[in-house]
Amino acid sequence: MPQNGAVRLAVLGFVLACTPADAAGDRALGEYLSSECTSCHQSSGKQVGGIPAIIGHPAEQFVALMNAYRERQRDNQVMQAVAARLSSEEIAALAAYYESLKPNP
Amino acid sequence: MSTNRRTFLTGLAAAGGFAIASPAVLGQAKPRVVVIGGGAGGATAARYIAKDSAGAISVALIEENEVYQTCFHSNLFIGGFKSYEEISHRYDALAKNHGITLARARATQIDRDKKEVVLSTGARLPYDRLVVSPGIDLKYDSVPGWSKDVEEAMPHGWKPGRQTQLIKQKLDAVPNGGTILMIAPPNPYRCPPGPYERASMFAHVLKASGKRDCKIFILDPKDSFSKQGVFQEGWEKHYGAMIEWLGPKVHDGIKSVDPKTNTVVTGFETYKDCAFVNVIPAQMAGEIARSAGLAPAGGYCTIDPASMKSVVDPNIFVLGDACIGGDMPKSAFSANSQAKVAAMVIRGELAGARTFPARYINTCWSLIETDDTVKVGGRYEAKDGKIAAAETFVSQPRESAELRKENQAENVGWYAAITADMFS
Ligand SMILES: Cc1cc2nc3c(=O)[nH]c(=O)nc-3n(C[C@H](O)[C@H](O)[C@H](O)COP(=O)(O)OP(=O)(O)OC[C@H]3O[C@@H](n4cnc5c(N)ncnc54)[C@H](O)[C@@H]3O)c2cc1C
Ligand code: HEC
Repeated sequence: MPQNGAVRLAVLGFVLACTPADAAGDRALGEYLSSECTSCHQSSGKQVGGIPAIIGHPAEQFVALMNAYRERQRDNQVMQAVAARLSSEEIAALAAYYESLKPNP
Repeated sequence: MSTNRRTFLTGLAAAGGFAIASPAVLGQAKPRVVVIGGGAGGATAARYIAKDSAGAISVALIEENEVYQTCFHSNLFIGGFKSYEEISHRYDALAKNHGITLARARATQIDRDKKEVVLSTGARLPYDRLVVSPGIDLKYDSVPGWSKDVEEAMPHGWKPGRQTQLIKQKLDAVPNGGTILMIAPPNPYRCPPGPYERASMFAHVLKASGKRDCKIFILDPKDSFSKQGVFQEGWEKHYGAMIEWLGPKVHDGIKSVDPKTNTVVTGFETYKDCAFVNVIPAQMAGEIARSAGLAPAGGYCTIDPASMKSVVDPNIFVLGDACIGGDMPKSAFSANSQAKVAAMVIRGELAGARTFPARYINTCWSLIETDDTVKVGGRYEAKDGKIAAAETFVSQPRESAELRKENQAENVGWYAAITADMFS
C-alpha cells in the first residue's frame, strides 16, 4: 500500500528529529517551515525581481543571514517579520532543508 | 472482507490509539482529497497535498474555468504595467507535474452525509477530506439601483476575466475633464488595499495620457482604509488633487445609482454624467460554501485557526476569501499560506505524515505610481480561538524613494513566486 511509504517516511523524519541537537537541523521541520518562504522565494532557485534565491547556501551562512534579520542588523521589513518569530532550532531546520536543495531551472 | 475483519478494523479505528489509525489508512485504497476552486487557496492546497504525499493521496481539483486570471496584479494590468497574458495561468502543468486529476466543471452541491461533491456534469466525486476555496460572491443588492443586469454598464472588476477588461476599456475611454466615481466596499472584502491601488492606477493612466483635468472620487462606506496615510500622501504627491476620498461622514451614504445616465446620488451630492462608475459591492463566501451550510453565521465560514477545518464539518477545510481568517486579510497571499496549513493537516490525517503547529504569513504590496510601492504584512498564529497577528509591519509616510522602488521589485518577485507555487 502506498500509505506505508508515507508512514515510513514520517517515522524516518521522527528518528532524524531525535538526533542530538548539535547535529544537522531537523530537515522535515525545515521543509514544512519553508512553505512560508515559497510564496516569495522559489524552491527552484529561480530569482525574479527583488527576491533573492536562497537555495544551496551552506547551512552556517544561511543561519547567519537569518540571524542578521532576526537581530535587525539587516534591514528589510518582510524578512525581519519572518525571522522574528523563528526560534534558533527552526532556523537550523530551515538551513538544513535549503542547503539540500539544488537549482532546478 | 470478512465480518470478523471488518469488526476488527472498526474497533481499531474507534480505539484511536494509533497515531495512524485513521480509517482511510487502514480500510480502503488510496485516501481521496477533493478540492473545490483552483484559485490562490485551492490550487496551492491541491499542489502541496499531491506533491508532498508523492502518490499516497489521490487529489482531484474541481475548477469551472480553463484559465485563471489573477485578481492580484489585475490593477497593474489596468495601469498598463502588465499584459493580460501575464496575469493568465493554465492548470496543465499543475495537473501533469503532480498527478492531480482536473475536473473542468462547476461544483453544484456538497453532499456532506455521503461525503461526495456533485458536479454540473452530473458526476459525483467521493472524498475523505474536502477543501473548499471558491473565493467570493458579490452582494448585488448592496448598492441601491445596481444589480447583476447592469454589471457591464457599471463594472466591479472584483472578479477576474471580462470584468477586469471592462474596467480597463472604460478607463481608457474617459475624456479629459471626465469624472470617475468608485464606490468602495464595506468590510470584510477581498483585498483591503485593492480599491485604493486601483484608484492610483486610474490616476496614473489619466496623468500619463495627458488627461490632467479628470477627477476621481472614491465614495467609501468605511471611516478609514488600509494604508490610508501612505496612499493619501502618495496621491497628493503624484496626482495633486485628482483623487478625492470621501468617507461616510462626508457623503452621507450612497442613496442610488442609475446606470442609464451614469448618475450616483449620495446623501449630500448628485454626480451626473460620470465618465465611468466602478461599483465594488459588499461580498460574501462563494455560493458552494454557503449552500453547504459552512457559513451559518452569515456571509463567511468559521474555521479552526489551528487547522483551517470548518467548525461545522471536520472533513472539510475552508480557505481564502471564503473563510473568516481572523487578523489575516482576504488576499491571495493569505489563501496560499492557509492552504499549506490545511495540506499539512490533511497529510497528517490521511497519510500519517508529521504535523507541526500552524503558522501563517501575508504581505500586500500596492503600487501608487511607477516605482512607488507601499506594503503591509505580518505573521500569524492560532491564538485565542482565531488566526491572530504575531508580528506586523506597514509602510510609513516620508520613506525614501529607494525603499519604495525596492518594494516594487519585491512585488514583482512575489507574483512570480506565488504563481509558480500555485501552478508549476
Ligand atoms: C483588484 C484586486 C487586486 C488584488 N490584489 C491582490 C494583491 O496584490 N495581493 C494579494 O495577495 N491578493 C490580492 N487580491 C486578492 C486575491 O485575488 C484573493 O484574495 C484570492 O484570489 C483569494 O483566493 P481564493 O482561493 O479564496 O479565491 P479565488 O482565487 O477567487 O479562487 C476561487 C476559484 O474557485 C472557482 N470556483 C468558485 N466556485 C466554484 C464552483 N462551485 N465550482 C468550481 N469552481 C469554482 C473560481 O472559478 C476560482 O477560480 C486582489 C483582488 C482584487 C479584486
Ligand atoms: C514576503 C516575501 C518573503 C518571504 C515570505 C520570505 N522572504 Fe526571505 N527575503 C525576501 C526579500 C525581499 C529579501 C531581500 C531582503 C534584503 O534585501 O535584505 C529576502 C532575503 C532573504 C535571505 C537573504 C538572502 C541573501 O542571500 O541575501 C534569506 C536567507 C531569506 N530571505 C530566507 C527566507 C526564509 C527562510 C523564509 C521563510 C521562513 C523567507 N525568506 C520568507 C522576501 C521574503
